[in-house]
Amino acid sequence: MRKWYLLAMVAVLSASMVFGAGSSETVTQAAAPSGPVELTFWHAMGGVNGEAMNQLVDKFNQDYQGKIHVTAQYQGSYDDEFSKIQASGGNYPCDIIQVYDIGTRYMIDSGWITPVQTFINKTKYDVSQIEPNIAAYYTVDGTLYSMPFNSSTPILYYNKTALQEAGITDVPKNFDDIIAMSAKLKQTNADGTVKRYGFGMGNYGWFFEQWIGKMGKQYANNNNGRGAKPATAVAFDSNGAGLQIVQTWEKLLSSGVMPYLNQGNNDAKAAFISGDIAMTLESTAALKSLLTNIGDKFELGVAYFPSINKDDIGGVSVGGGSLWMMDTKDQARMDATWEFLKYMVNPENQAFWNSKTGYFPVTVAAQSTQTFKDNVAKYPQFQVALDQLHASKPQYAGALLSVFSQARQINQEYIARLANKELNAQQTLDGMVKEINKAIENYNLVNY
Amino acid sequence: MREHKPWNVKLLLLNIPLLSIILVPLLYTFAISVMPADEIYQSRLLPSAISWANYIQAFTNPYYNFLRMILNSFIVSVSVMLGQMITCSLAAFAFAFLEFKGKRVLFLLVLATMMVPGEVTIVANYLTISGWGMLDSYSALIIPYLTSAMGIFLLRQYYLTFAKELHEAAMLDGCSDLRFLLSIVIPLSKPALGALGAYEFLMTWNQYLWPLLVTNSKQFRTVQIGISMLYDVDAESLGLMMAGVVIVVVPSLSIFVFLNKQLINGLMAGAVKG
Repeated sequence: MRKWYLLAMVAVLSASMVFGAGSSETVTQAAAPSGPVELTFWHAMGGVNGEAMNQLVDKFNQDYQGKIHVTAQYQGSYDDEFSKIQASGGNYPCDIIQVYDIGTRYMIDSGWITPVQTFINKTKYDVSQIEPNIAAYYTVDGTLYSMPFNSSTPILYYNKTALQEAGITDVPKNFDDIIAMSAKLKQTNADGTVKRYGFGMGNYGWFFEQWIGKMGKQYANNNNGRGAKPATAVAFDSNGAGLQIVQTWEKLLSSGVMPYLNQGNNDAKAAFISGDIAMTLESTAALKSLLTNIGDKFELGVAYFPSINKDDIGGVSVGGGSLWMMDTKDQARMDATWEFLKYMVNPENQAFWNSKTGYFPVTVAAQSTQTFKDNVAKYPQFQVALDQLHASKPQYAGALLSVFSQARQINQEYIARLANKELNAQQTLDGMVKEINKAIENYNLVNY
Repeated sequence: MREHKPWNVKLLLLNIPLLSIILVPLLYTFAISVMPADEIYQSRLLPSAISWANYIQAFTNPYYNFLRMILNSFIVSVSVMLGQMITCSLAAFAFAFLEFKGKRVLFLLVLATMMVPGEVTIVANYLTISGWGMLDSYSALIIPYLTSAMGIFLLRQYYLTFAKELHEAAMLDGCSDLRFLLSIVIPLSKPALGALGAYEFLMTWNQYLWPLLVTNSKQFRTVQIGISMLYDVDAESLGLMMAGVVIVVVPSLSIFVFLNKQLINGLMAGAVKG
């Protein structure tokens, strides 16, 4: 695809030169050497997260007054922003861009970016300040490509009040536990309809990926897409992880442990808040909005993301986003960008970011700040999320795939067809493997 | 008129339930926007207490700046609406009344552009605009939409219903094409023009992807981007988002009500004169 954009761009640019129309490049070069270095920062944070992001940028501009000025520009959801950079990346429209986890491989291959590792080496930045399990996601072949910024993991949320009423004192660790507990938690109306399910979750591709990591297995070949070469096919078919997950889905649905709550997470979240399901899976970053919406209806508890089998030994990996440095070829701007990236992850700012948004503080030292301690005292549930992150290991960092958003979509569509009883477990797995592999193959054919 | 009255009452009785069904989503949106946060998921239609906090936040928080975005959307939508009414009526006039070589092929070419979905050309258009250095300006939002095949087609079909002799008679009396268009065709085609205007206004008002692509600074952002700024997957605040939706719907609804009146006037004028 990118080659097409390039071709089209060349055509357009040469056309504009012929007609003598002013090109946008002249504008970007006009930065006067005497004034502060002007940087453009694209991000995808809306709502309170967007406000917190702007506060951080404002603070940076104050601290670096006269030297560096960053303009933060909201560019829509992660997907919108990603489409925009795919269309315009070759023009270097920004200096820093926040990209979601699953865009990582694409950015590495794009040729538009400079790995932050270059600056880490140059300035002897101590990279061990960053949570190793978070940095691992953005590290390929020993190179940290982007600066981790907003990270979260999935976690199990439960209705503590309901569990107490049902006499359950433990928290579920795996799906055997969930099935056993759901039997106690399920409530039916007089007319036989279900009043409350013990468990429910959205059909969300992210969870599928996480369960593979929890088994300690890999999603894709070529070292989970982290080798020198990108992944050429999925691995969850041959290593058996995929079938186990699909079979678990089938078991949960057919035995009536949980209702089917559609693709994405919105319906599951709504059902959980309104008390129609007693346990659900969600991102750690949703903790605050859940607490606000639940109010004092019930007490909220959290536990580790459940594994498929009792004896799974892996861990969870992070989702969310990271900050990329565009290779603008302008040394002054790239140096300024590096200052900005370091600033954004310093302990104090990460503690602030964590308290405002619910994403993990990506720097270890942030945990010893007062801001963080106050926040954990206020939201003790957050400690569980952090413990879960620490219990994982860098080798479970999860896969990298250029077509990840497409792969997720395919995965969800097949699970939806399983829920609809169109396909059995094996057919579901075979179908999704075939389509995802086809997408990977097409992409590799065009781009490598 | 008097004998129609019982019918009016019946129609009214029939329409009120229908109207309330259609309006429920809108009213519910409004209800959520003034509801305390913990009531939203309690499946209640009406809030226990009304709070305007979400609206105050949407308007006063400098990070959102809704007033500016509403103004931008108005400028862009009105320009596109007027521009299309002018260009489409001119083109449609040529296709309907004038005879020239290659008219058929040209018209088919115009129609053919209707078959290409906008998403296909959006990247190419983006590159063109950015190559011309028009990114982040009103021109980027307005110029690409100044004409449309749909509008040309709609008006041409309408003009074709006019008697050819009308044009010929005017020509004989020494009336120029432009004057014929301005003083005879356009007054007679108010309903079609009004429908086109209302349609294009709403289409432009509701645009999301194109404004997002070609604008970067808050100075040129439009309302639909404003709504998405209120949302985040991990930190959703439904009340604030719904307040944004209401803020954005009100101006477009009111302009539609206004144009709707024009539309009916135009229809009646056409009926009497035609």
